Amino acid sequence: MFAALVVACVVLGISNPDFVGQSNVVNTLRQISMLGIFSLGSAFVIITGGIDLSVGSMIGLTGVIIAKVSSHESGGLGHSLAFGIAVALGVALLIGLVQGLLITRLKLQPFIVTLGGMLLIRGVSQTVVEGATLSLGRSPLLRLANGGLGSIHGDPLIPYPVLMFLAAIAIATYLLHFSVFGRYVYAIGGNRDAAEYSGIDVRKVETLTYVISAGLAGVAGITYAAYIGQMSQQVGVAYELYAIAAVVLGGCSLRGGEGTVLGIVIGSAMMRVIDNGINMFQIPYEDRDGIPRLWRLNPNWTFIIVGAVILLAVVLDQVVHLVQAARRLRAAPPSRAPVEAPPTRVPQ
Amino acid sequence: MVPAAEPARADSPKARAPLLSMRGIEKRFPGVLALSGVSLDVHAGEVLALMGENGAGKSTLMKVLGGVLEPDAGEIAIDGAPVVFDGVRSARRHGIALIHQELMLAPNLDIASNMFLGNERKRTLLQPIAREEMNRRSAALLERIGLALPPTTLVSALTTGQQQLVEVAKALSVESRVIVMDEPTSSLAAAESEQLFAIVRQLRADGIGIVYISHRMEEVLTLADRVSVMRDGRNAGELSRAEASYEKIVALMVGRELSGSYFPAKSAEKSGTVLLEVNDLLVPGAPSGVSFSARRGEILGFAGLVGSGRTELMETLFGVAPARAGGMLLEGEPFAPRRPRDAIARGVYLVPEDRKRHGLVLPMSVAENASLPSIAERARFGLVDRSGDNRLAEQEVSRLRIKTPSIQQQVITLSGGNQQKIVIGKWLAMNPKVLILDEPTRGIDVGAKAEIYRHMAELASQGIAILMVSSDMEEVIGMSDRVIVMHERRLKGVLTRAELTQERIASLMTGQLEAGATAAS
Repeated sequence: MFAALVVACVVLGISNPDFVGQSNVVNTLRQISMLGIFSLGSAFVIITGGIDLSVGSMIGLTGVIIAKVSSHESGGLGHSLAFGIAVALGVALLIGLVQGLLITRLKLQPFIVTLGGMLLIRGVSQTVVEGATLSLGRSPLLRLANGGLGSIHGDPLIPYPVLMFLAAIAIATYLLHFSVFGRYVYAIGGNRDAAEYSGIDVRKVETLTYVISAGLAGVAGITYAAYIGQMSQQVGVAYELYAIAAVVLGGCSLRGGEGTVLGIVIGSAMMRVIDNGINMFQIPYEDRDGIPRLWRLNPNWTFIIVGAVILLAVVLDQVVHLVQAARRLRAAPPSRAPVEAPPTRVPQ
Repeated sequence: MVPAAEPARADSPKARAPLLSMRGIEKRFPGVLALSGVSLDVHAGEVLALMGENGAGKSTLMKVLGGVLEPDAGEIAIDGAPVVFDGVRSARRHGIALIHQELMLAPNLDIASNMFLGNERKRTLLQPIAREEMNRRSAALLERIGLALPPTTLVSALTTGQQQLVEVAKALSVESRVIVMDEPTSSLAAAESEQLFAIVRQLRADGIGIVYISHRMEEVLTLADRVSVMRDGRNAGELSRAEASYEKIVALMVGRELSGSYFPAKSAEKSGTVLLEVNDLLVPGAPSGVSFSARRGEILGFAGLVGSGRTELMETLFGVAPARAGGMLLEGEPFAPRRPRDAIARGVYLVPEDRKRHGLVLPMSVAENASLPSIAERARFGLVDRSGDNRLAEQEVSRLRIKTPSIQQQVITLSGGNQQKIVIGKWLAMNPKVLILDEPTRGIDVGAKAEIYRHMAELASQGIAILMVSSDMEEVIGMSDRVIVMHERRLKGVLTRAELTQERIASLMTGQLEAGATAAS
């Protein structure tokens, strides 16, 4: 997948120099980061073999709460921004905890619980904004998305969302690849029963993955609020599906037990590069009158291309798995039956 | 038929070509040779009982016959003509019907729909199902087997016995010539069993060949025309109705003389103090409580048939399914695990019967699996102590002589014996007090078996109490200091070393005999 990403970037860079232009690179990095933050959260859940469909709604709700609580524009309550963010993140973590407890304590299916959560949370956002939009006005929050470290021609060199993504990567890497908690996450995804039989507190670990997913969705929600500047009920719709796509492109299996942070980062990047590339890709040609023109991809093809890439990735992944399994079977030592004993005569 | 091909064959009841003939069937799974040159004949109008211990290969053979598994070698002939089954449907077309031990009915559909499932009376997939015809035919079949129920009754409303009869009717609906019944009475009440036997006899009179798999000696002796016994994936021998007796069947099932050298020598009578005391413990689903105790340094064997409740009892001891009543004392302190964590915290560990399902995280490495239960003990600030984990894994690999290219090898690639040793190893690293081994050597080659026995003896000598569930009679007798025999989820008797004989155990576990000893010491 990493090779595919590099190839895609090189091809796009050649076809349209603007793709590697400074403003497009910064913008794409920001997009990758915002997607990557909540994809990492989804990955925790997916590696345990669960699924979280409420991510997109959670992103929307976080932004809506921040706007409602801290905005000084009409409809806002005018509290401080810090208070707004605290309330929003608190609500996100709480919802994650409730979903996690429902799934682990009542043994409900994650798909159904988070589907319910997705609709319910979306409905709350809708009720709060009353079908309109809530503007953040000139809130200092907007600098979070548009500002950053360093500056070139007025644009930030490293936008804050990229820094937040790097922090999320560091934390996720620690948790998944170096901590006991992470080992448990993989063990549960690899074999839930064996994990339980090994004394792992499966319910606690699983619940925590939903809290982490909700929390990172909340963090991503803050960046989206800052990026968009005004919240409507539509923000974040279907983002959980982008997260799942990024996670799967990054090498996680929906069966659980597989995947790496690096893979998820690459998967997120792939999703955004495809998205951006569809707008950027162009082939210069001359029409019949000899006038130079540019052939571009039809933006309506976006979903076709994204869908095809995802399908191709999982098909390739499965083929690799099947080949490995076949090789393993062939390599299995031809051991004998347990005991060598000739058929015994019946004692007469 | 070539008589030389079947040395153990006692006699040949029919002269003409058998209805069904399986010759030299071989089936290999990764790491195990499940069937090795197995032959079987079924004649029209006879009941052939197929017997053998768990893991002898009966089910695998029947799966080959039913087209579920493809044999690696050997041939199947019907009426003397060779056939090849490429799937369940093709076996069904040749008149082979399998009735599985776990009934394969859809409880949400009615009797008629179940009977014709996959065989609906219609020409194309989209045509409406011909309900009337199906109902009519179902009603006729139900009448034939003596089940007075309308064909529109939902299967979920039937008793297990009635469902079993529906399965028989279903087999008849496709004009089966050979019907395989796998432990059909294992969940039936006595009256229901009688009804089933009457139907089996009627089918025999109708010229159908019946393969009857059962552990219940009594049934087999009254019902079967011939008894074929399997052992270790081979034909162990065959008995005609006249020859068949309880003792002869057991002798064939168990096979060879017990070889003393195979098992580690036992020290003299052990007199450790009581470590685990189980008082009237009511396992979920069991009819009554069980009581026994295990001493330090003792290997306590648990014998019984499949479904006798041994695994369930062990799971309750380990906290998987908490007890409904009764109590336990571990080192004199109350012990009531509600989850495996609770048991593990007290030093009670389980090596489960199904290691792939409950014992190992297959995609993970040897080191990751071996260190999994104890990983938190070595961690600092939640950080995995990789070198500590690796040291632990190396230690267990060398202690148990686990054959693996490295400790980073995925366990899915290792053989069954080595996988089992990893499950044992992860607990040995945590100083067990009570080690529960459920079928510790199932599907494991002979060398690994001997090593596991050696380790068990060594652990016992260190004062650990070992509870060993085993369906391998030789193993139970060779390893145990005392044996608890279970039958239909009840504790049937406790045998001390002096009382241990195959016959005693076998008659207790088939429910033939009440033991003199009732409760544990």
